Amino acid sequence: MNAMPPKGDIISRRSFLSWLVKGSLAGSALIGFGMLGRFISFQSEKSPPSQYDLGLVTDYPVGSRKPDLTTQAVIIHDNQGYRAISLVCPHLGCKVNMTSDGFACPCHGSRFLPDGSLRNGPASRPLTTLRIEANAQGHLILYMH
Amino acid sequence: MHRQFFFASLLLFVASGFVLWQQDRSPKPIGITPTITGQVEYCLTCHTDLPEISQSHPVETFGCVLCHGGEPMALTADLAHSTMRGGANPSDLSVVEASCGGEMCHSGTPQVNRDHIQRVTTSLQATYAGAIAQVRYAFGAQPDLTARMGIYAIDGLAAFDRTAESSPALQAFGSNCLSCHLSAQPLEGEAYNRWSGCSACHSPAPREDGTLVHRLTTSMPYTQCNACHNRGNYSLSDLQFHSRGDTPTDRLHDYYQPIAEFTRCEWTLDCEDCHTRQEAMGDGHVYSSKKDIQYVRCRTCHGTLDSLPLTHTITDVNDLSLRLAFLNPVVDLKVGDTILMTDKGELLWNIRVVPGEEGATPTYELFSKAKGERYTFKPVMGSTCQQKPDQQEAHYCHECHATQR
Repeated sequence: MNAMPPKGDIISRRSFLSWLVKGSLAGSALIGFGMLGRFISFQSEKSPPSQYDLGLVTDYPVGSRKPDLTTQAVIIHDNQGYRAISLVCPHLGCKVNMTSDGFACPCHGSRFLPDGSLRNGPASRPLTTLRIEANAQGHLILYMH
Repeated sequence: MHRQFFFASLLLFVASGFVLWQQDRSPKPIGITPTITGQVEYCLTCHTDLPEISQSHPVETFGCVLCHGGEPMALTADLAHSTMRGGANPSDLSVVEASCGGEMCHSGTPQVNRDHIQRVTTSLQATYAGAIAQVRYAFGAQPDLTARMGIYAIDGLAAFDRTAESSPALQAFGSNCLSCHLSAQPLEGEAYNRWSGCSACHSPAPREDGTLVHRLTTSMPYTQCNACHNRGNYSLSDLQFHSRGDTPTDRLHDYYQPIAEFTRCEWTLDCEDCHTRQEAMGDGHVYSSKKDIQYVRCRTCHGTLDSLPLTHTITDVNDLSLRLAFLNPVVDLKVGDTILMTDKGELLWNIRVVPGEEGATPTYELFSKAKGERYTFKPVMGSTCQQKPDQQEAHYCHECHATQR
């Protein structure tokens, strides 16, 4: 009797070690390339878009003052047309609140009139007016810069 | 050679796996891009539970790094904290300019009342120049009481160096008695617990168990001041600090000077209700004594027999009093209100004249800055007080108005 299996059915020690080396190298390469890809594709924070589609103009009837949380702006539609005022305080950049008599900064107390002009400091400038236009499809487009 | 290659490949695989495992263990970054800096920072990955430090410094506007320093993109505590300014206290005077300074923040011009850092760094609480001058004079190291030295050198003051003093008493003073200025580390013990720099006054002290309170405030109870001003005395006889031995059980006795007398307003109000910003934080000039800068007297609020206290009527929406009242809204101050004012023109924005009939004796209302409580009082003029108008030191008033202790 011969207890040894046929020679062709077993993996030799040399082959096993060879496959182990190849596997290790392939695994390392996979991990390495994966991490490299993750590193290259990493984007800490997406840059905010320079313009926003605010939806149909019909959503902003005459007389409306609608704050938009995404753009931190208030969209005003009056007899003069559409206007957009940034809700970012020009003093240090806090978000101002809309009040019955205009806007108020909760951080340092600057106040602004309903048209965005400065009522009292410490801000030294009015709220920024942003460009807003209706496009051919009847959507309002707000430009941040 | 084959054996080395085999082990090297295995080692590389294990190392790669370890790095991958480590990366997967890292917390998922939580980033914010503060409005002021526009630079992403990941501090909130670990610090999401921190409360907003104050209404004036919201995190989405200021972020963390602008004030605290540190590595904004790091995701490990050691690396993130490695370049922080002042440890947990960026207001320490050694780093305060980098942390809190800037034209728009706290080192702007006096004209726009943004010169806090310039004023504080010249104040007696920071330089300790008055105490140093008095002790040096007492031991013959200088000919008069004029301030010549401070804890650090500034324009007009050299740095006090105990090793340069020839008197052993002054060397002992330098070793034992410089624990209460704004740059000093507090003495050990809960009673002395406080931060250094701006936070000595404007932030609650670390709790007894070591936990920190993330808060900046202009609403400071008297207990905040007590960490330095009510815990004992430095003795000239042995040049040591002697802590008070009693444990006060009520507010009236929570003063450290056993022989001193106090009127009711002194032990019911908080220190900041009467003492002004310039008294506490300096006015940008170097003084030789606390008496030279601490000028609020009884008559500042109560007037004298022949004069009412000075007043200021708010006519401008940009009036400083409105800004100060906004930061600590204990009183609904508005244009048209009349408030009290010190001899130097400092606005006592928390003390308002109650509108009344023209010609009638006015009534004043004081809103305590820490508690928000309202107190009313009358001027001396028109009262039965017999105090001579030219004798207005507090001890004259105490003769009749001090409370027995």
